[in-house]
Amino acid sequence: MHPAEIWIFRFVFLAFIGAFGVQIATRLRLFLRASNNIRVPDGESGVRIWRVAREVILQSRTIAERPLVGLAHLGVFWGFCAFALFTTVEFLRGLGVADLTATAWFATYALLLVPFALAVLVGITGLIIRRVFVRPPALGTSVSKESVLIGFFIITLMVTFLLDFTLTEGVAARVNWWVHELVILSFIVVIPGSKHFHLLVSPITVYLRSSDLATVPNLDFEREQVGLETLKDVERKQVLDAFTCVECGRCQVNCPAHATGKLLNPKTLILQNEDALLAGRMDATLADIFEATALWQCTTCGACEHHCPVGVEHLPLVIGARRGLVSNGDAPDVLGAVYNHLERRGNIWGLGADQRQKFVQAAGLEIFDSAKHEYLMWLGCAGSFEADFQKSLRSLFEILRARGITFGVLAKERCTGDVAKRTGNEYQFQELARANIEDFRAAGVRKILTSCPHCLRTIGVDYQEFGFAVEVVHSSVLVAAITRDVSVPVTSQVTFHDPCYLGRYSGHTEEPRTLLQRFGASISEPARHGANPFCCGAGGGLLFEEHEEGKRISQERFEQLQATGAATIVTACPFCSIMLKGAQASANSAVEFVDLMTFVEGRLKTVQ
Amino acid sequence: MILVIAEQQGGTLNRTSLETIAAAQQTGSEVKVAVPGADVSAVAAVLAAAQVAEVLCVQAPALEAYTLDGYVAALAQVVQDERPDHVFLPHTYLTRDFAPALAVRLGMALVTDCVGVRWQDGALIAARPMFQGRLLADVATSGPALVTFQIGAVRADSLVGGGAPAPMRTVTVAIDAGAIRQKPEAPFREARQAVDLTQAERIVSVGRGIKEQDKVEMARQLAAAIGAELGASRPICDLGWLPMDRQVGSSGQTVAPKLYLALGISGAIQHLVGMKGARTIVAINKDPEAPIFEVADYGIVGDLFDIVPAMLKELQG
Amino acid sequence: MKIAVCIKQVPAHDWQPRVNDDRTWVRDQDASFELNEPDAYALEEGLRLKEKHGGEVVVCSAGPARVAQALREALARGADRAIHVEDDDLARGDAFAVAESLASAMRDEQFDLVLTGLQSDDQGFAQTGVVLAATLGIASATIIMEVDVQPGAVRVKRELEGGWFQFVTLPLPAVLTIQSGINQLRYATLKGIMAAKKKDIRKVAPPAGLASRQRIVSLYVPEKKKHTEMIGGSPAEAAKELVRRLRDEARVIL
Repeated sequence: MHPAEIWIFRFVFLAFIGAFGVQIATRLRLFLRASNNIRVPDGESGVRIWRVAREVILQSRTIAERPLVGLAHLGVFWGFCAFALFTTVEFLRGLGVADLTATAWFATYALLLVPFALAVLVGITGLIIRRVFVRPPALGTSVSKESVLIGFFIITLMVTFLLDFTLTEGVAARVNWWVHELVILSFIVVIPGSKHFHLLVSPITVYLRSSDLATVPNLDFEREQVGLETLKDVERKQVLDAFTCVECGRCQVNCPAHATGKLLNPKTLILQNEDALLAGRMDATLADIFEATALWQCTTCGACEHHCPVGVEHLPLVIGARRGLVSNGDAPDVLGAVYNHLERRGNIWGLGADQRQKFVQAAGLEIFDSAKHEYLMWLGCAGSFEADFQKSLRSLFEILRARGITFGVLAKERCTGDVAKRTGNEYQFQELARANIEDFRAAGVRKILTSCPHCLRTIGVDYQEFGFAVEVVHSSVLVAAITRDVSVPVTSQVTFHDPCYLGRYSGHTEEPRTLLQRFGASISEPARHGANPFCCGAGGGLLFEEHEEGKRISQERFEQLQATGAATIVTACPFCSIMLKGAQASANSAVEFVDLMTFVEGRLKTVQ
Repeated sequence: MILVIAEQQGGTLNRTSLETIAAAQQTGSEVKVAVPGADVSAVAAVLAAAQVAEVLCVQAPALEAYTLDGYVAALAQVVQDERPDHVFLPHTYLTRDFAPALAVRLGMALVTDCVGVRWQDGALIAARPMFQGRLLADVATSGPALVTFQIGAVRADSLVGGGAPAPMRTVTVAIDAGAIRQKPEAPFREARQAVDLTQAERIVSVGRGIKEQDKVEMARQLAAAIGAELGASRPICDLGWLPMDRQVGSSGQTVAPKLYLALGISGAIQHLVGMKGARTIVAINKDPEAPIFEVADYGIVGDLFDIVPAMLKELQG
Repeated sequence: MKIAVCIKQVPAHDWQPRVNDDRTWVRDQDASFELNEPDAYALEEGLRLKEKHGGEVVVCSAGPARVAQALREALARGADRAIHVEDDDLARGDAFAVAESLASAMRDEQFDLVLTGLQSDDQGFAQTGVVLAATLGIASATIIMEVDVQPGAVRVKRELEGGWFQFVTLPLPAVLTIQSGINQLRYATLKGIMAAKKKDIRKVAPPAGLASRQRIVSLYVPEKKKHTEMIGGSPAEAAKELVRRLRDEARVIL
């Protein structure tokens, strides 16, 4: 290369890299000034590195839900990685540091890059066509100019690379080289300010993503933490999430609130966060930035986090913002009533303990004695007060007794605090949790059995932060384990509604199906099932909010289940049951509902 | 001698006063009745039909409308003049307002919301609920006491009538109208734009068991027959068979009427929490397992299309 | 405006009361306690009036040391400071003893308005507010649904029987007993709970010579318990019986 060329390149390089650096510095500053909530629990780093390998390098999440698109992206991504050395060598040449382009290994390397370049070209062309002409709703209503520009850059880079094989020397070759280098440098400058920042940030956010959905650590009252009130309070992981978002819209299309015409859109939430951070609106309240209405429409179903390919955790942001609102007394009225119930009576409906006592006696339950009973049967609020769910519990008790499992109940229960935790009333949650843990410890509880997926998650996961870790199992899992010897011929056709807190949160999608098939049901699945169910609409405190914007989530899900054509809908969660039966009543439909335990018990009786 | 303070408003006797007179009669003591107001002669005549020693018309222009200060001044004078062993009153909104102040003025004890009285060693023991009805307490007082009686605790039809009307005497009380601190306005009923079930004393509520929209009319008739408001569970409102302001439930209205009659309502928990505070709950449902029966005081398992018309016949016949 | 809210700490709602050995009180040693729910509505009203008119809300209560817990709860909801007349016997005292002790602690404060709940969920005599007013020599009104502050006076909406209401104007200072359910209770926010730790609870000894005018000679469980009466027979028979019961037994229809 001509010396003048080198000097020009050095100048250009410095300018572009400088522009890149300034943007990085801004974002780094935003990251550093946020409070540090980044914590990798001991022993998890290995698991997480493996996760990065699967999700980033092998692109498992992008391919899983959208195979063709995912593979196209895989091609572009691997091509990008493969070209890293090529780009470095060309920079070194351009800066006049070293010229390795004439070496033998480089020539081989360049040849090996050709299939990658072709893969990238095919991939990026397909993706651009999808974005500009197919226009899937997930990508928003208007075509992103930035994405088209980047797409154009990538095509140019591959074309100039391939052209380089035919153009050896002369002006054309030089121009080709300069185009290639300028486009790369432009790309680099565009990265921080675009969704392509994920190139740098997403391996980090994928690594840092918690292993459990909705990981929102306890507030530390000693340090006067009250939750997220203004943008200043947003934490480091949330800052990273804002920058890593690729705007793919997987969270948006899977969100039940968004699907039913509500204001809440998880993708919008993350982008609003990003916009506000970059605009420096540090003193703006999160209620303003995200709109409080949207924040209170979240059922915490977790579909957003579950699908995000770059490790964004939406729920800590929603719940964190809710905490800020609740700490200032700004919870919706309907939740204020629930908090009063929890405080006065220790359950979400404000009902008297004597009602629970009536059930305990009528069902012939024994008070838990660690010397006699293997399991503490945790009834929960629904088990203590909701007559329908109590019928399913009675079925469970019959199954357990028939199979010789010993169990007892606590003399008195108070709510696990699930609703308080998910709606941001940390104080109440911690009060309830501590009191419950004290009772568990005093009773010498080692194993807890529950039929409520919310209790399962709260006691099994959230209580661990208080140092309480015992085996907590859902009835479907235990019953599946103790009925392995049974097989009943298929006599009915059902559909199963996966509870979000059992399937998506706790990973138990197989056991209910195993049970149903084992006990003679053939299952028609709705489109959204298994690890990706469509929420019933009860979570996140929305059980109590009966006036929804748009369509009722429960109605939408009910229609999805009805559309399978099955005569019976099987549920495994008291709240799913309440919501879906409510939807059925309001639709004046005659579809049958049965709880999983009642179904199993009915069939078990026929084989005994 | 037991002095009963009867209650009247605008010339109409509050009939709970008769229950209180019956309670006084049942102690075996001599009974006198005092009724305050501006001109109570008509009311006094009704009271004089009971078997009592005397009816006192406690009159002053300042007693035309009820005020705490006016009533306390008037009744304190009467009690001081008549020197009864005890004073009985019905436990009404009115007596809840002035009786404690009257007790302070007279230096007497006040035992409220009693369900019965008895004598023990010459002293009056009043029985009244405590801890929200979970316990009953026998309360003794030192010296003469004011006792208010729970409405319905003593049956008005146990009142003993006198052969001849009891003597009536007018007692004019001197009340300094200027010293009355309360300035009352005329009582009124709410002009309701929206239905406010929380104020209803009785509610007839329909659920899915009503099956069809035109059957709601039957429930409406029943409601009219017993002076009740019409309520509904959520599905009925969602289907548009009744407007949303009739919905009873955790997000509709939370009600605590004297009577809640649930027709064809299963008792899903969202509905239950909205009406469990009702004093008397009646459930009519085809399903004997319906959760509503857990909270009902009276229940009929049956077809409401047979039962409700039969009830209407009984009420109107 | 200087507003006092008188509250009582009562055994928790779902606590099953058991009578003590001499049958004159309950075994409240093993009870958990809470702020009397009707008083919570009075507190809510007081806090709303403060928000509207400025001033301070002072919660007052009489009873043993544990009453401080209920006072802290009220402070956490937004009251500014508290007065605690500390005395072990006042937990089971009658309205006259309690009112007397509160009056002696409150007199010098010269409150503009004193709010109480309608009655306590334990003894439920529904007298203390009015007795307090009479003891302090100020006006009172009961079963109040709405409070409208005017110069030197307050215009309140009283609830009467059978769906009737009445507006009454009384001069300040006055005592009002507040109807339950008239407003949505605020819950104690995290910030409120943290701030409450630093708020002042002034402890006062009760006056000498406090005398109750009544005493409980016997406390017992009533015979009737709540159960469901299922009415059988043909529809006509059942309907007739139901109407009869509602008319004569429950007395909820005429």
